[in-house]
Amino acid sequence: MRLLFRCLLAIVICGVAFLQAVGQASCPARPVPGSVVQDALNLTSVNGVLSADFALGHLVDQYGYTHYCYDYKISDGHFAEAPTLRLNQGDTLMLGVADRIQGDDLVGMKMNMPAPTGKTCGDGGTPTLQSTNVHFHGLNVSPNCHADDVLTTLIQPGTPGFQFTIPIPADEPPGLYWYHPHVHGFTEFQVNGGAAGALVVEGMEKIHPEVAGLTERIFTIRQQYLVPWIPGPYQLSLNFQVSAFPFPHPQIEMAPGEKQFWRVLNATIQDFMPLQFQVNGVAQPMELIALDGYPIATPRKETTILVPPAGRAEFVVQAPPAGQLAQFVTLNYSTGPTGNPDIPQVIGAITLTNNPAKAQAVKPAAGPPIRLENLKFANLASQKANTQRKIYFSEEFGGTNGPIQFYITVDGQKQRVFEPDEKPAITTNVGQVEDWYIENRALETHAFHIHQIHFMMLEVDGKPVTNDYRDTIEVPFWEGPGHPYHSVKVRMDFRDPAIAGTFVFHCHILLHEDLGMMHKILVQP
Amino acid sequence: MRTSARSWMLRVALLLVGACLGNIAAAAQGTPHYLITNDDVSAFLSSVSFYAIGANGRITLQQIVPTDGFGIGGGYFGANRLAVLNSSDNQCVYASDAATGDIVGIAVNTLTVSSSTLGSSSDTGASNGIGLATNGQYLYAGYSDSSNIGTFQIQPGCSLSFINDTSVIGLQGGIVDAMAVHGNLLVVTYGDGSIQSFNVSGGTPVSNGDEQNSTAAIRAQGATYPSSIDITQDGHFALFGDTATAAVVEVSDISSGQLTKTVAYQNVGSISASNILLSPDETMLYISNTQGDRVSAAFFNKSTGQLALGCASNLLKGYSSHWSYIGGLAQPSTSGNGGGVYAAEFGNPATIALVEVHSSGGTCSMLEPSQSPVVDFSSPGLLSIGTFPPRSF
Repeated sequence: MRLLFRCLLAIVICGVAFLQAVGQASCPARPVPGSVVQDALNLTSVNGVLSADFALGHLVDQYGYTHYCYDYKISDGHFAEAPTLRLNQGDTLMLGVADRIQGDDLVGMKMNMPAPTGKTCGDGGTPTLQSTNVHFHGLNVSPNCHADDVLTTLIQPGTPGFQFTIPIPADEPPGLYWYHPHVHGFTEFQVNGGAAGALVVEGMEKIHPEVAGLTERIFTIRQQYLVPWIPGPYQLSLNFQVSAFPFPHPQIEMAPGEKQFWRVLNATIQDFMPLQFQVNGVAQPMELIALDGYPIATPRKETTILVPPAGRAEFVVQAPPAGQLAQFVTLNYSTGPTGNPDIPQVIGAITLTNNPAKAQAVKPAAGPPIRLENLKFANLASQKANTQRKIYFSEEFGGTNGPIQFYITVDGQKQRVFEPDEKPAITTNVGQVEDWYIENRALETHAFHIHQIHFMMLEVDGKPVTNDYRDTIEVPFWEGPGHPYHSVKVRMDFRDPAIAGTFVFHCHILLHEDLGMMHKILVQP
Repeated sequence: MRTSARSWMLRVALLLVGACLGNIAAAAQGTPHYLITNDDVSAFLSSVSFYAIGANGRITLQQIVPTDGFGIGGGYFGANRLAVLNSSDNQCVYASDAATGDIVGIAVNTLTVSSSTLGSSSDTGASNGIGLATNGQYLYAGYSDSSNIGTFQIQPGCSLSFINDTSVIGLQGGIVDAMAVHGNLLVVTYGDGSIQSFNVSGGTPVSNGDEQNSTAAIRAQGATYPSSIDITQDGHFALFGDTATAAVVEVSDISSGQLTKTVAYQNVGSISASNILLSPDETMLYISNTQGDRVSAAFFNKSTGQLALGCASNLLKGYSSHWSYIGGLAQPSTSGNGGGVYAAEFGNPATIALVEVHSSGGTCSMLEPSQSPVVDFSSPGLLSIGTFPPRSF
C-alpha cells in the first residue's frame, strides 16, 4: 500500500508539477547532450573559511523530469548549479541553505512524514516533500545541529534559510566527499532530481604525489527516474549532461596519451556502477588513489572499480594515442532477483584533442607531505575491537503492490522500519572500537552506509580483504536457499569525541532509506 | 511489468483458438479436469483460463473465458481470487475482478460465464485484490480497498446473491488478506500479523472473539504476518503461510471452534511462505517461496498438527529473467500427495510451473520436469490458480 501510494503520488507529482512548473526557470539550464563535459564551479576556502549560500530550487523540464537544484548565485540572474566545495584540513565550512522549492505543493495535497518530537533544529515543523536539509556525506564531523545533523534539522520553504557551520577536522582525510538532502521519506525525490554536489578536502597530492600536476576532473554521475521508485525510464547524467540513450554521449576531452586525475562521485539514487575506462572496447588499468574520500594506502591498478550508490572513486587514467576509441563506461551489475536492473551504459566518450579543456590542475605538493598515519582512523587495523555486532538487511513483500518492508536490523532486535522518534538501535560510547558483521538476507543487493565516520574493511564473505576505508559498501544479494548470505565485516571507530551524538546507518539505495531501512546509533560522550 | 502489443495480439488469437479448442475438447471429454487461472488483466478485459490436466500433470490450454471486468495485474500473494465449487448440482468457478469488484460465476460444464455479481459500492480490490472462499453455501469475498468481507449466497446456476458486508480490521489496522472456510468457521488473516475467526453459521460472519497476533508476528517481532490459510479436512487445524523475512508457517488448533495460539515453524533458509497448500492426503504441506525462487514441502502430521522438514525444488526455471514472484499453488491430483504441485509464476506473460513430488519413508524430493513451465499468455501477472475438481476439503 505504501509503495502504491507513493507511486500514485509520484504520478500526481509529475503530472501536476509539470503543468505548474514548466517554464519556471528556478534551476539553471543543464548542459546540452553530446557537448563537452564541464566541471562544476569551484568554491574555494579563503583564509580557512569557505562561506557560500545555496538555494534549493525546483522545476520540471520539458520531458517531465523534476529537477531539484542547489543554486549558487554568481551574479544577478545567473546561477551555478551544485558547485564543488573545496576546503583544506582544519578549515571551516559556512554554508547557508534556503529552501526555494516552488510549484511542488500538489495543489494542496500534502505528503507528510511524522515529525520528530523533542528537540528540533532549523525551521522545525513537519517534514514534507518541500522540506529539505543537508547531509555532508563522508565528512567525519559532528552529528549535531548546524553541523551534519539529518535527524532534527529541517529547512522549510520560504523561510530565510539555515546556516551550517562545520569545522573540517585537521586530520580529515583529503579526498572527495559530497552533499545532498536527507529528509527522511523524501531524500530520493530530491537526489533523483539532481540535488547533490561534490566537496573536496584538499591535499591528495601531499599523500599520493603521483596525482600532482595532473588535470583534475570531478565527475558527478546522477540518475534520474521519471518516477523515482519505478525502474522505468531513467537518465544517467555526467555533470548534469544526460548520458542515456537516445542522446549522444557526453564528451570528455583529453590530450592523446594524457594522464588525468578523475574524482568520480556516484550520486545516483540506486545504481551500482562497475566503472571501466575502455580503449577500443578493452578495459584499461586505472590507478586507484582513493575510495570514499579516503586515500588508499598503496595506489593499485584496477580495470574495474565498483562504486556503489553514494560511493566515490578517485583514480588516474591515461588517454590512448590519437586515433583510438576510448570511453568511460559502467557495466551491467546484477542487484539480484528483486533488485533493480543496473544496465551497462556509456557515461562519457573520450574526445582526443591536443587542446583539452583544462579543469583545475592538482597543485604540486607544497609544504610537508601529509602522512597516512596522521589521518583520522589511521592504525585502526592494530586496534582491538571492544564490541562485536551483527547487522542484517532483510525484506518482506506482502504482495506485488506491497506492503513491502525494508529492514536493517541489529541481530536479536525487532525487525522494524525507521521511525523518527525511535530509540537508538545501537548505543555506544566515545572511545569504542567495534567490529560489525553486516549480512544481506534479502534477494537484492544493498549499500550499507553510516554517517559521521569511515569504517575499515576487514572481510568480505569471511575472507580478509585490503583494509580500505569506506563509508558506503555494497553487500551483495542472497542467491536463495542453499546459499550462504553474503556479508562484510568492518571495523567502526568511535574514538573521536567530535562525533558524539545520535546519527544514522542505513541502506543508500534511497528508496530503501526513505522507506525505513535505517536506524539510529547513539555515541555517548 | 509492461505489456507489449505483440503479447496482446497473441492473446486475442489465443482467445479465438482457445474457444474452438474448448468446444471440441468439451464435447470429446467426460469429467473435466482443469487447472484454472485468474488472469488478473488490468489493461484489457480480464479472463479466467482453463487448462486441461493430462497425464503426469501436463496442462494444455482449453479455454479462455473473458470476465468482462478488469483486474490489477498484481496484489496480495496469499489471497486466492478463485473459489471452486463442486457440488452435485453446482459445478462452478468463481473469480474476482480486482479493479471492477465483480465476481463472476463460470459454469464448468460449459466454460461460460453464468453470472457477474457486485457487492456494495465500496467493495473493490483495486489496491491488492479480492480474496475468495466458499463453504458450498456461501461465498466470502475479502475486499482489500474497504477491508470488508462480503457475504454472498450461492445460487443455482453458478449465480450469487449479495447479502451484506462485514467490516473487519486487524489489531494494528491491517486490511483483510486471505480467508479460508471450513463448515461454519471462517478464518481470516490481516496484513499486520493478526488473525481472526468468525462463525458463519448464519451466513454473515460473526466474530468468535479470538482476534490475536500470531505467534510468529510477536516472536519475529513485527516482520512476519500470516497471509494464506489452509484448514485440515477434519477442521482440527488451521495452517498459515506467512509473509516474512524467512519461511514461516504457523499452525493453530481450531478444534474448539476458535483460533488458539499458533505454533510457528521457521526455516531461515528461505524468504516468505505466503502461499501454502495441504496435499489431499494431508501428509504434505506445499509452500511457495513467494519472494524467492522455488517451492518446498514439509511433512504434516494431521493428528498432532506438527510440521517437519521436507524437501525443496531446485531453482524454478525462468526466475528473475521471466518472472519475479511465485504466487498460488494447486495440485494435479485430488488424491495422495497431489501428484505434484503447480505454482503460479508472476511475470508478463505469466508462467505456470509444475513440480513433481516424490515422497517415501519420511523423505521427499521435488523436481521440475522439462516440460515446465507453461506460458500463460493470458495473464500479465498471475497470482491465483486452482483446480477442478477441487481437493475434497
